Amino acid sequence: MTDSPAPAPTGRLIGGMFRRQRRDTALCAGFWSLHQVCEALVPVAIGVVIDQAVGTGSTTAMAWSVLGIFALFVALTMGWRFGFWFLSKAVVQESHSLRMQVVRRVLTGRGIRTNRQNGELLSIATSDTQAAAEMLELGSRMVSALIGLTVATVVLLRIDWSLGLGLVVGVPLLVLGLNALGPVVERHTSAQQQAIGRAAATASDLLRGLRPLRGFGGVDEAARRYRAASRTSLRANLGAVRAGATFVGVSTFTTGLLVTVVAALAGWFALQGRITVGELITIVGLATFISDPVLNLADCVFRLATARASAARVAEVLAAPEPAPSGGAAARPGALVLDDVHAPGLDGVSLTVRPGELLGVVTEQTVTADGITELLAGGRHPDRGEVTLADTPVRDLDVAALRRIVLVEPHAVDLFGATLREVLHTGDDHDDAAVRRSIAAACVDVLADGDEGLDRELLDRGLDLSGGQRQRLALARALLADRPITVLRDPTTAVDAVTEHAIAEGVREHRTGDARATVLVTTSAPLLDRCDRVVFVHAGRVAAVGRHRDLLARSAYAEVVLR
Amino acid sequence: MSDPTSTILPVATGRATLVSFWRSLRRHPMLGWASVAASLAASAAAVVVPLLLGRLVDLVVAAGTTRSLLLTSAWILGAGFAAAVLTGASRWLVTEWGMRACADLREEVLDHALRMDSARLENAGSGDVAARVTEDVEQVTDSIRLAAGVFIALVTVVVTVAGFAALDWRIAVAFLVIVPVYALSLRRFTPRAKRLYAAERQAAAVRTQHLLTTFGGVRTVHAYGMQQRQSQRVERASRDAADARLRAVRGFLWFANMMNYAEAIGLTAVLFTGFLLVRSGDSSVGEVTAAALLFHRLFGPLGMLLMSFNDIQSAGAALARLVGVTEVDVPAGRAGELATRAPAGITAKSVWHRYADGPTVVHDVTIEIAEGESLAIVGESGAGKTTLAAILGGVFPAADGAVWLGGRLIGDLGPDDLRRTVGVVTQEVHVFAGTLADDLRLAAPHATDEQLHAALRLVDADGWVAALPAGLATRVGDGEHPITPGQAQQLALARIALLDPPIVVLDEASAEAGSAGAHQLELASQAVIRGRTAIVVAHRLTQAHACDRVAVMSRGRIVELGRPDDLVEAGGRYAELWAAWRR
Repeated sequence: MTDSPAPAPTGRLIGGMFRRQRRDTALCAGFWSLHQVCEALVPVAIGVVIDQAVGTGSTTAMAWSVLGIFALFVALTMGWRFGFWFLSKAVVQESHSLRMQVVRRVLTGRGIRTNRQNGELLSIATSDTQAAAEMLELGSRMVSALIGLTVATVVLLRIDWSLGLGLVVGVPLLVLGLNALGPVVERHTSAQQQAIGRAAATASDLLRGLRPLRGFGGVDEAARRYRAASRTSLRANLGAVRAGATFVGVSTFTTGLLVTVVAALAGWFALQGRITVGELITIVGLATFISDPVLNLADCVFRLATARASAARVAEVLAAPEPAPSGGAAARPGALVLDDVHAPGLDGVSLTVRPGELLGVVTEQTVTADGITELLAGGRHPDRGEVTLADTPVRDLDVAALRRIVLVEPHAVDLFGATLREVLHTGDDHDDAAVRRSIAAACVDVLADGDEGLDRELLDRGLDLSGGQRQRLALARALLADRPITVLRDPTTAVDAVTEHAIAEGVREHRTGDARATVLVTTSAPLLDRCDRVVFVHAGRVAAVGRHRDLLARSAYAEVVLR
Repeated sequence: MSDPTSTILPVATGRATLVSFWRSLRRHPMLGWASVAASLAASAAAVVVPLLLGRLVDLVVAAGTTRSLLLTSAWILGAGFAAAVLTGASRWLVTEWGMRACADLREEVLDHALRMDSARLENAGSGDVAARVTEDVEQVTDSIRLAAGVFIALVTVVVTVAGFAALDWRIAVAFLVIVPVYALSLRRFTPRAKRLYAAERQAAAVRTQHLLTTFGGVRTVHAYGMQQRQSQRVERASRDAADARLRAVRGFLWFANMMNYAEAIGLTAVLFTGFLLVRSGDSSVGEVTAAALLFHRLFGPLGMLLMSFNDIQSAGAALARLVGVTEVDVPAGRAGELATRAPAGITAKSVWHRYADGPTVVHDVTIEIAEGESLAIVGESGAGKTTLAAILGGVFPAADGAVWLGGRLIGDLGPDDLRRTVGVVTQEVHVFAGTLADDLRLAAPHATDEQLHAALRLVDADGWVAALPAGLATRVGDGEHPITPGQAQQLALARIALLDPPIVVLDEASAEAGSAGAHQLELASQAVIRGRTAIVVAHRLTQAHACDRVAVMSRGRIVELGRPDDLVEAGGRYAELWAAWRR
C-alpha cells in the first residue's frame, strides 16, 4: 500500500512545502552556503598559514594568520547559525501546517475513508509530518553542499586544472553511484517505519482498552503481544541499520579513494615542482574537505528516502476519498423524509419527520436502528430510495449546511474540552442560563453544583465521570446545540429508571416549539410515552404508526418496548 | 517536581535514566565489546590517514622518490579501506547494540504502563501514557542511530588526541585548550537545555492528547459540524509545541556558536604551537600539517557531537520519561502456587472509599455474598455502585475496610491469583485491534477455536460471528470490520466466559447496546453468571430482578438489601424504582 503511492500527490505535497517556505528555505540555503564556503576555505587557510608563517617563521605573518582564522570562523559560525535558525523556523512551521492539513482532512466533510488505525493516523500527524518537513532541511543542505563543492573545485582548478577537472568529473560520478544505492535503503526504511507505526498502534490500542483488559486479566497476554510487535519492529530496524551501515562503508571508502588519488597526484606534481608545498597542503586539505560535502550529499540522499516515504503517507491521507461526497445545495429546515429506502436492515422504509414533532422510532433489530440513524445523518446513502430534507435530496446538500439543520448525536460518547463549559459548547456561543437549562433537562446539573460551576475541570475525555454522566452530558450537548432537527439514538441506556423518566420530561420540554423536530430512536418506554408519534419498524418495514399507548396493544411492539 | 501538572507520570532523574539505560545495554555484553572494538579500530584507521598525508608532505619537502611516494599512497589507500570497512561495521554493531537495549526498554515501559495502579494511570491521562509509549519510544529509537554516531565520534576524538600525542605532546596540550571552552559552555547550557527540552516534550504530549481525542471522536466532530472548533483546539496545541521547539532551538544556537569559537581557538593554538616548534626545530612542517589536518578532521566528529547535542538532549528527556514509567511500582506477579479454580464467595467488612481529595463515595459497606449467589446493585447514578463493584472485583483497593474473596484477603492475592478468581466487565468496552480470535484470546491465550466458538455460543454471538467475512479470522478494531457496541459487549462477556472465574462482576453490561439489543445482552450475561458468584451493577431492573438478591445504594450506602420480590413487597426504595420501571 505504501510501496505504490500515486507519485503525483507526493510530488505536489513536496512542491507545496518548498513553495510555502521559500523565503526561509532560501535564506537557510544562502547562509549555509556561506558556511560551506568558509569551511572550504579553512584547509586553504591552513595551507597558507603553514606556507607563509609556520614554514617561514615570520611573527607578523603568524599574527595576521591568527586574525584571518578568527575572521573566517566568525563568518563560518554566523552562516551556520542564521541558516539553522531560518531552517528551524521553516521546518517547525511546515510540519505544523502539514499536521493541520491532516487534521482538517480527517475532520472535513464526512471524514475520510481509510484503513489506518487511529494510532497510525496519530503517528502520521506527528512523526510523518515532521519527517516530511525535514525535506526542507535536505534541500538546503544539498544546495549548500553543492556550493561548497563548487568553491573547492574552483580553488583546485586555479592551482592545477587537471586535478580540478578530475574532481568536477569524479565527484558527480560518486554521488550518482551512491544514489543508485538509494532504493535499497528506501525499501528498508519504509519497512522500518511501517513496523514502528504498527508497534505504536498496538501500544495505543492496548492502552485505550486498559480498563476492560484489566477486568478480564489480559495484561500478561497484552504485554506478550506488544513484545511480539516490538520484536518485529526491531527486526525491521536492524535490517535498515545493516543497509545503512553498508551504505556508510561504501561512501566512506569512495571518498577515501578520492582523497588518496588526489593526494598522490598532487604529491607527484609537487615532486616535479609543478606546485609548491603550500599548494600541496591546500590540495590535500581540500581533498579531505571535499569528502564532507560529498558525504553530506550522500546522507541527504539516504534521508531523502525516509522523508519521501513519510511525505507519501501524509499525501495518502490528504488524498483519501470521502465515504460519501458532499453536494453543493444549501440546506433549509423542513420535513426530513425517508422515501422507500433500502439499506441493510431496511427493506423499503418510508417515514417523515415533521417540524415541531417529537417522533419515536422503534426497531426490533439493532442493525435497523443503525441504518435509520445513519441515513438520517446523511452519513450514507440508501441502496435504493431517497432521503430528502425540505424536498431536496440529502445527497445534493452541502454537508456543513446540513449539519446546521440536522444533528445526530452518536451513541458512542466522545467529549471534547477540559471544562464542563467547553465540553458542552460545540461552536456557537450560549449564555450560562441556556447551558444550565440544557444540563438540567439532561439531569446532569449536579456536575455544575460545585464551587467551579460550569468551569469544573474534567479529566482526559471525561474519564472521571461515570458512563451515565457521560451519556447525559452528550445529551445536554445535543440539546444545547438546538438544531432544527435532532436525532437521539438510545440516549438513556446508562441511566437508572427514575432518572430516565426525568430525562424524558426534560427532553420533551426542551424541544418544544414548531421549529424543532426531535427523533428518538429507542425502545425506552418512558421516552416513547412522551412522543407525538411512534413509528414501529418490524422486519425491515414500517409495521405501525401511532401513539405509544395505542401501539402497546400490538404484541410485537409490546414485546420490544416492555421489559 | 516543579511542574504545575503534578498528576502527570513521574520523569526519571538524569542519574536514574543513565543507570537504567546502562543496565539495558549490559544485557548484551558480546555486542557491547564488539562495538567498542570496532569503533576503536575504525577511529585508529581514520587517524592514520592524515598522519600518512603529513608524511607525504614531508616526503615532498625532502624531495623523495616517486617509488616512496607511491608506497605512501598505497598505505593511505589501505588505511582508507580499513577505515571504511570498520566504520561501516562499527556503525552497524553500535546501532544494533543500542536498538536491542531500546527494544528491551520499551517493552518494559509498556509492561509497566499496563500494570500501573489504575488511580495513577487515570490521573495522568491516557494521552501522557500514549505519548510515552508511542512518540517517546519512537524518538528514543530514532536517536539510537544518532547516539551510535555520537559514541563513534567520541571514540574518534579520544583516538585523535592520542594521534596528537604521537606527533608531539606539546601539540596535544595545545589542542586541550578547547576543553575549558567546551566545559564552560556546557555548564551554562545544560541546565537551560534541560528546561527547554522538558517544556518541548510537555507541549508535544499535550498536542498528542488533542490529536488522539480528535481522531478518536471524529464521528462526534462530524455530527456537530465542529471541525472548525476542534481543529482550532489542535492548532493551538500544535502551535504551542512549535513555539516550544523554536525556543529550544534558540537556546541551542548559542551553544553551537560557542563550539565554533572553540574550534577557532583550538586551530589557532595548534598552528601557533606548530609555528613555535618548527621555528625551534623541534618539529617538521609535515608534522604540523598532520596536526592541523587531524584537528581539522575533528571538526566533523566535534560538529557531530555538538549538532546532535540538541537531539540527544531531547532524546534524553524522552528516555527519562520512559524510565520514569518503569520506576512506577507495579504489583509483582507472585511466583507462589496459584489458587485452584474453587467456588468462592465474597465478604466485605466496613468498606469505605474516596478518590484522592474527593468526597467519600462508599460509606461503611458490609456485605456477604455466598458461593454461587448473584447480587444486583441498583441505585441512582453517582450512588457509588461502580466504585463498590470495582472494589469487590479487586480493580482497586478500598481506602479502608477489608474484602475477602473465597476466604482469602484481597490484598494477599497476587495479580494472577486475583484474575483467576474474579473477572470484571467494565463500563468501557473496547474492541482490540487484530482478528476476532486474537481479541478473545487476550483473555485465554491457549483457548482452541472450539472453545472460542463455545464461548461465543454461550453469549449468543455465534450467529453474527459466523456471518462475518472471515469468521473468527475477521480483523476488527480501529478502521477494520465495524463491530456494534452491543456486539462488543457480547465479546466482553465471551472473554469472561473464556476466563472462567468463580466470581464475576458485571458493570452496566447492557449499557452500550442500545435498548434494542438490551434484552439479548441480558440473556448473555445471565448465561455467564450461571454457576458463578456474581455482582451485577444493573440499570435495567429486569436484570436486577433476575438476581438472587438486590442491594439498593444511595449516597454510598446500602440502604436496602434482600430478595427482589421481598423488597417490592416491603414497599421501600426498590419498590419505588420497580414501579417507575414498569410504568
